[in-house]
Amino acid sequence: MGTLDYIWMGIQAVFQGPELFSLFGLPISVTIVMILAGFLTGIAVGATPGLAGPIAMAIALPILISVFGYTPDALLPVMGFLIGVMKGATIGGAVPAILFNTPGTPDAFMTTLDGYPMTQRGKAKKALRVAHFASASGDTFSDIVLIVCAPFLALLVEAYLDLPEKTALLILSLSFIAAVIGGSPAKGLISTGLGLLAAYVGTGEDFYPRLSMGSPSLSQGFPIATAVLGVLIIGAVLKELEDLWRRKRDSGEIPAHKDEGDQRLHGADIRRLLPYVGRSALIGTAIGALPGIGSTLAATLGYTVGRARYAKKKRPGAPEFGKGASEGIAATEAANSSVSGANLIPVLSLGIPGNAAAVFLILAAESIGGFNPGPSVFRFTTDSVNPELVIAFGLFTAMMVANVLNWTIGGLFMRSMGVMIRVPKHILLPSVLLLTLTAIYVQETRMEAIWFAVGFGVLGYLMRTVAISPLPFVIAFILGGKLEESARQAFAATGGDPWFLFTNPGAALLMAVAFAVIVFSARKTKEVA
Amino acid sequence: MKQALEKRMNWEDFMKRIIKAGIAAMGVAVMATTALAADWTPPGPIKLMIGFRAGGGADTQARLIAEELEARMGWKFIPEQVTGKGGLNLANALKDQPNDGTAIGMVVTETLGYNMAAANAGMTPENFTGLTTTAGFQMGVVARTDKGWNSFEDMITAAKGGQDIRFGAMSPKLADLAYLLGKAQGVDFNIVNVKGGKGVMNGVNAGDLDVGFMAGIQAKGVEAGDLINLASALSEPLVQTPDAPTFADLGVEYSADGYFVFIGPAGMPDEARDALSKAIVEIVSDESTKAGGLIKKAFGGVSVISGDDLTKLLADDYANAGALMDAASE
Repeated sequence: MGTLDYIWMGIQAVFQGPELFSLFGLPISVTIVMILAGFLTGIAVGATPGLAGPIAMAIALPILISVFGYTPDALLPVMGFLIGVMKGATIGGAVPAILFNTPGTPDAFMTTLDGYPMTQRGKAKKALRVAHFASASGDTFSDIVLIVCAPFLALLVEAYLDLPEKTALLILSLSFIAAVIGGSPAKGLISTGLGLLAAYVGTGEDFYPRLSMGSPSLSQGFPIATAVLGVLIIGAVLKELEDLWRRKRDSGEIPAHKDEGDQRLHGADIRRLLPYVGRSALIGTAIGALPGIGSTLAATLGYTVGRARYAKKKRPGAPEFGKGASEGIAATEAANSSVSGANLIPVLSLGIPGNAAAVFLILAAESIGGFNPGPSVFRFTTDSVNPELVIAFGLFTAMMVANVLNWTIGGLFMRSMGVMIRVPKHILLPSVLLLTLTAIYVQETRMEAIWFAVGFGVLGYLMRTVAISPLPFVIAFILGGKLEESARQAFAATGGDPWFLFTNPGAALLMAVAFAVIVFSARKTKEVA
Repeated sequence: MKQALEKRMNWEDFMKRIIKAGIAAMGVAVMATTALAADWTPPGPIKLMIGFRAGGGADTQARLIAEELEARMGWKFIPEQVTGKGGLNLANALKDQPNDGTAIGMVVTETLGYNMAAANAGMTPENFTGLTTTAGFQMGVVARTDKGWNSFEDMITAAKGGQDIRFGAMSPKLADLAYLLGKAQGVDFNIVNVKGGKGVMNGVNAGDLDVGFMAGIQAKGVEAGDLINLASALSEPLVQTPDAPTFADLGVEYSADGYFVFIGPAGMPDEARDALSKAIVEIVSDESTKAGGLIKKAFGGVSVISGDDLTKLLADDYANAGALMDAASE
């Protein structure tokens, strides 16, 4: 079993998986169909203001699991669908941004700056083509970096990090996430702390279910789906409903713009856009590889760097950045799309999720079983097959399949999604709420799960009203068990040394960085304020 | 001559007839038992709670058995992971389920023995119906071959030479045993609690642990020469490495003897209990099934205890748990 054998088995796992139907005698595997379905769903969802990829992933996951079951065979179809949604939503978000000046996803905000002016000048189709080209390029680039880097990073971690360092690395990730997501590190820490608190209910090594206050429904702890879906999705829906109620739906007329002139993307255009796409793809990938920094920052940075270059290289007579320059769209879309692949580097090599999409991929893996994202996945065993490694290469294959779909039919489908802006929010939001609760019940099949989810939803709503980002909560909830486990193990392995985080030089260094991240970002916020 | 030949023919006919009759009788007997088993059909889909982390050897065993039961008996299973607290979370959830055979669980005997006694959680083996065990553990004390230890003795020498030994254990009972082992040998192990045998194996392979308990998952690695069974944590030698000393040889009077066991809530009707355990036993005993093959390969072969023997085994394990705990806390 060499490396190439594993790659080949991963590819086969996708293409020769359980057959759904055959097309002209060619068997079509269910995984391929699920990737396509996810991809198209993702575009539609991304193009709908008020919805985003994570919502679709959250609702789809329990339903898919109940369809495919809890066997390892279910991993690739289910995760393929989620990957499809993740990729589709990235390009879909640009559609309403360009056509209606309303970003479908938060990271498409910068796209409105140049996209909408282009639409006003009658160049909507061309703007969409630019967005699609940049997005697909950035995404593909990022995936290639992921596929090359994740195995090596995992092997490095496994070879050089001992238990105390692994514990310190988890603490560093959590403090980094707390510091960079949301407005201030203090709020980030509150969110992280609440997440850890929730994760520690009913868990632990003692036989007594800790923090359960004697209640049998708490003794098994909070199911991960209720915490994640509650805080992320139900909380968001409640907040959106409140906003809607306040604005009383100022239903303005949707303006119509006619397309004029040449809408095609020529070779010369592509040559002109490529430097912007390349730079942004690099920025997005680098940012994506760090857990917690989202695609919104990547988009902003990509746009800023693009603007600086454009100021120097601008042809006379071409529109300014922010006034309808296609380079602006390209710089933004390439940056925010290249985050998604790289974001899976910490997920697959360390088991640390960096954004909401990654959270749902981990959730899928944990719910189905048979695949535990982390360094042990990339063990190239030679005497026997490591099934997790096959799954990992299957996921890489699924991402490449989604990229092929993106390049071939993505643009066409995306350009037809302008209608999604007309979906009324007062119908959309309650439907999402109902679907989410149903989905949770499908997976947990006990009434407590619904109460937990609603409770976490209220928590998510309250956090949003005081501008605390719920993402550190969710990531802390997922990492909490792992953190405790590795800390206990490190403590025991060092012979009960309570200072294991500081006596080991590697761990001490990581801890110092963890403190520094919090201190420096706290100071920076103060300066800004 | 001719007469003699005829006589022999008659004798042959006679024998043939007897054999045929015997076969027919056996056939009737087999049909009778299958008819008996077929008398019971579950009143609905069977919830199968699995007390092990998804993806490990024990979880795979449970799922393969369910898969084969579905294929053979036409029963419908809903496998569900109920992990944590050494199987007690599962026990707690299973105890209040309907006892008509629509809810069963797979744990280890240790759950109803040591863990239930240690937790003092208001449960005893009497709250459950034991269906059958499937396999024992081939519980070895395992290290990576490239550590350079060729025997248990080598490891103790290394420990006495001042090397810290990290000893991975996947349950409190095993942690107690590791402590007693160190005590008997005059060394202090750094005992690290790890989740599941797979966690121990990952830790040993990654170099986070020096040695650890593995209950069968080490078979492939030992065969390939990457891992070595330094000792048997059982009262008997390991099937794969019969030369490795047992815990008794090493001065520990307790052992990690135990089994994977299917249980249901207390008071399950006999026909449901018999039908379920009989169907499971048939599958695990058949090496041509995936489940039987796995048990043969990873757990050193089937080990079936059911009925009253199982009830007694579970009760004894529970009653004897205190002695080990006392010894380990001395």
